Amino acid sequence: MGLEDTSARVVANKHLFGPLYLMELDCPAVAANIMPGQFVHMALPDRDASVLRRPFSIFDRDEDTGHIEILYQTVGAGTQAMTGWQPGFETRMIGCIGRPWEVPFSTKRALLVGGGVGAAPLNLLCQQLVDEGVDVDVILGAQTEGALVCRKRYEEACGKEPRCSTDDGSFGREGFATVLVEEALDAAQAAGTPYDYAAVCGPEPLMRAASGLIMDAGVACQVSLERRMACGVGACLSCVVETVDGRKRACVDGPIFDAEVVVW
Amino acid sequence: MVEMSVNLNGLAMKNPVTVASGTFAAGQEYADFVDVAKLGAVTTKGVSLNGWEGNAAPRIAEVPSGMLNSIGLQNPGVDHLKAHELPWLQGQGATTIVNVSGHSFQEYVDVINALEDAPVDAYEVNISCPNVDEGGMNMGCSCASVEQVVRGCRDVTKRPLIVKLTPNVTDITEIARAAESAGADALSLINTLLGMAIDAKSRRPLLSRVVGGLSGPAVKPVALRMVWQCAQAVSIPILGMGGIACGEDAVEFMLAGATAVAVGTANFSNPFATLDVVEGIRSFCEAEGVSDVNELIGGLLC
Repeated sequence: MGLEDTSARVVANKHLFGPLYLMELDCPAVAANIMPGQFVHMALPDRDASVLRRPFSIFDRDEDTGHIEILYQTVGAGTQAMTGWQPGFETRMIGCIGRPWEVPFSTKRALLVGGGVGAAPLNLLCQQLVDEGVDVDVILGAQTEGALVCRKRYEEACGKEPRCSTDDGSFGREGFATVLVEEALDAAQAAGTPYDYAAVCGPEPLMRAASGLIMDAGVACQVSLERRMACGVGACLSCVVETVDGRKRACVDGPIFDAEVVVW
Repeated sequence: MVEMSVNLNGLAMKNPVTVASGTFAAGQEYADFVDVAKLGAVTTKGVSLNGWEGNAAPRIAEVPSGMLNSIGLQNPGVDHLKAHELPWLQGQGATTIVNVSGHSFQEYVDVINALEDAPVDAYEVNISCPNVDEGGMNMGCSCASVEQVVRGCRDVTKRPLIVKLTPNVTDITEIARAAESAGADALSLINTLLGMAIDAKSRRPLLSRVVGGLSGPAVKPVALRMVWQCAQAVSIPILGMGGIACGEDAVEFMLAGATAVAVGTANFSNPFATLDVVEGIRSFCEAEGVSDVNELIGGLLC
């Protein structure tokens, strides 16, 4: 499947909590073709001062309506401008870019770990795994209860409540999600049904710590990495990731990497 | 019908548009968007003899109307280019300019020697990259070293030799004259302007190497000025670049004295930017009654 630069029209753009927003766009090409873990490179047509696009994972898609959802966090002027996009606003996105999550054949049990807005690229994977009959456990971490914006969606997708942690203890376990990861790994081991696969996305310290615990438990682990990106198609070498095989491009060699090759 | 072909002192181009080195790799990554045979030329990412790792991330930062980069000429080396990218470009029917980089005078010569049996239409000698410690911009800042590297390259090739100049000098026309006198067939300018960006809250630079090269629309006025100055100073043709995103931008560079133009940063926001610039030049000429793009070169009224 080649890359396309397609138009996308805003259908809805909602503030969720703090810096978190959810944008729904009409973009049938991406809705039909996106594979869990891939991303789109979105233009900011209303910002003359922005010379670069912005990469976003796809939180959800509906092939029937041709709609996609992007869960985003305001970080700088570009994402701040996006919060003002009204329904009907037209932008463009290059998609579908990058290496998707690759779940080992015959996986029966999987663990998904999302920190903050990093929970977004795991949702389509969660749906795919559930469809394939995989038993999925989800762990979500956030700073505070309000920032656990994906909780309900994950509950719908896998039919059980995600285990949650918050930095301030306002919901679920107080502290970092890594404690829950450790417990989940131990419980699965003790029950004689260890995980076959784990996927982690979130702040890099979380990904480093969680993937370390997961690999120590002998479970195959992938992570989704983010870098500042210019071209988004593999040409400019801006978004390099250090790996045991040398520098790789987050955009097309990733964004999904086997945790064991990443040099943190 | 507008005559679109130009000649960069021996390098025949079917239209005046190429890409700025480093923004387009060797074209394969953009193949879903751009048929490279439709461009005047493809200018490949800078290549060194044995390849370089480049700089640590973060390598880029967006700034108002521009971006900073400090990629550091990461490349897999000339043998990789010969084995993979150049045959692909030849197969596509592209006109190919190879951007040649080195850490030493000898490395530039060695890279060109290694490429002499490869399908290359012209060399662009990169003595202007601001993001490497040795070679690059350091060689492009004094007339003596410019003459030395250009002469060394000139001695080993009869192919068109384009010398890419840095804007980070006191007087770019001195450097332009030095390159011309040492045997350059054409000049390309400008490479990026050395700049930096800081995150006030964290008190840290936005680039790991602290400083990097500024490109994009922000540099266009500087680039136009330097192209215009150099066009007065030398008699060899100029490949102009710096913030070109549409046909009219390209026309402005040609009026200032450029024979051909390169599209760089604009590729990132618009993967069709090169083709849009070609069509934009054509439609400008049609609208203005210009039958041959060569009429635009140096056509500034002042």
